[in-house]
Amino acid sequence: MPSEPRVPIEPTLEELSALIDNELDAAAHARVAEHVAGCQECQARLEGLRQTAHAVRGLPMETPPRTFTIPAQRRQAWRWAPVGWLGSGAVALLLIAVGIQNLHLHLSAGPTATSGSTSTVSGGLAYGPAQGQKGAVAPLAAPAPSPQLFDSQSRGSAMNAATVVDPTNSSRRLVLDTDSASYPTTGRMQVTAQLIGSPLTSLNSANQGLTLTLVRNGLGVALNPVGVESWNGTPIFGGWYDIAGFPLSAPRAGDYRLEATWVIPDGSGRVLQSSVPIRLTGN
Amino acid sequence: MFPSQDKNPNDRDLVSRARQGDREAFTQLIVQYQVPLYNMALRMVGGREDAADIAQEAFLRAWEKIRTLRDAPFKSWLFQIAANLCYDHFRRNRRYGTMPDEETHNIVGLGIATPDPQERAEAGERNRLVRQSIQALDHDMRIAIVLRDVNGMAYDEIASVLQVPLGTVKSRIARARAQVQERLQQHPEFFPREDVHAE
Repeated sequence: MPSEPRVPIEPTLEELSALIDNELDAAAHARVAEHVAGCQECQARLEGLRQTAHAVRGLPMETPPRTFTIPAQRRQAWRWAPVGWLGSGAVALLLIAVGIQNLHLHLSAGPTATSGSTSTVSGGLAYGPAQGQKGAVAPLAAPAPSPQLFDSQSRGSAMNAATVVDPTNSSRRLVLDTDSASYPTTGRMQVTAQLIGSPLTSLNSANQGLTLTLVRNGLGVALNPVGVESWNGTPIFGGWYDIAGFPLSAPRAGDYRLEATWVIPDGSGRVLQSSVPIRLTGN
Repeated sequence: MFPSQDKNPNDRDLVSRARQGDREAFTQLIVQYQVPLYNMALRMVGGREDAADIAQEAFLRAWEKIRTLRDAPFKSWLFQIAANLCYDHFRRNRRYGTMPDEETHNIVGLGIATPDPQERAEAGERNRLVRQSIQALDHDMRIAIVLRDVNGMAYDEIASVLQVPLGTVKSRIARARAQVQERLQQHPEFFPREDVHAE
């Protein structure tokens, strides 16, 4: 390799694009960055690519129009199960036959917060009915909050909150709160989830690894966690949700839990989870 | 670089349980991946119902075959199934798909909803142009840019999903961005060349 200094060659389109994604190795990154710093034309090319990537990333994530299910009859794997597994397989099929919705999860009364690298969702599940099966099963729909400005000032009046601290990073916390612990079934619920210390500033919930689920008896309704603002670098999600629009099983009134699960987007696999109790009253 | 959830030990735990027939564990995987998987399919095939069909079929196939999954990351494997289903869709329909023309209520991640109807209309038009520009790409470039800029996957993860070399991923993403940029710049009222700011 020549050791004498030389002008870095003009980067290729692939290199400029990969620079945006931080996908160049150290040597290539340094070479391309050095060239770009002194080349207005490449600065413009890079900026154009960056703006394009930004526009694509800015497309809103949409929620699926229907529930995704795993009907028992298509589970071919049972045919291959070793003899020792047949007992548990039969039990599983029986549970499906009598209605998985009868499974009950124990829900504690107060706000809870957990962390760790194991389960991300504890009880925030929604089993869709098997094909051709009808039942009072809440589909995994994702109600969207009302299209109105989120009032960040009202965070201070939250009455129902839970906070969990990352055990490996005390400056990282997941704060979940609602403006009340009890609502009429026709009411509106304000939800806020603050991802304090997130390694990303993105207000895209998928990028942040954030899910919100309203859970009762093992059935859940996924709420759209809409990014509302980045406040002092903290991504904040939430909004107002019209409870009447939730596809809840009858009776709609009852005790639920609102669960926020944050798979910390740093590649570590660590998960923070907070939940608060929600009581719905009325019909 | 966007982080990858493929190395998530939680996935491994859920997959391990699902491989033993634990429906609850697999349902948690559905909960975790349904939105990104559906949006990948949506940006690929355009129609919401087609995208939902693909996502549903991908989860079904993953559930049926999960016992064959050993050490491969679940996320890459699941998206690979969905990507193949997208290509099957294209082969069946002999078309590049049609993008939805209007937004619906099923949208997340919009950020603060602006109260200004004019601004909302402009934002909607910008998004429509971006979707059209993606849709105009050939399938290979389209899926590369979708996995990168919609799903936030790292290049090695995309290479794993598409079963192509890393250099191919890099090239497809770059060319896709260049083509999308060229199309967007045909609408300077929404994408002015001067209005660029580095993040």
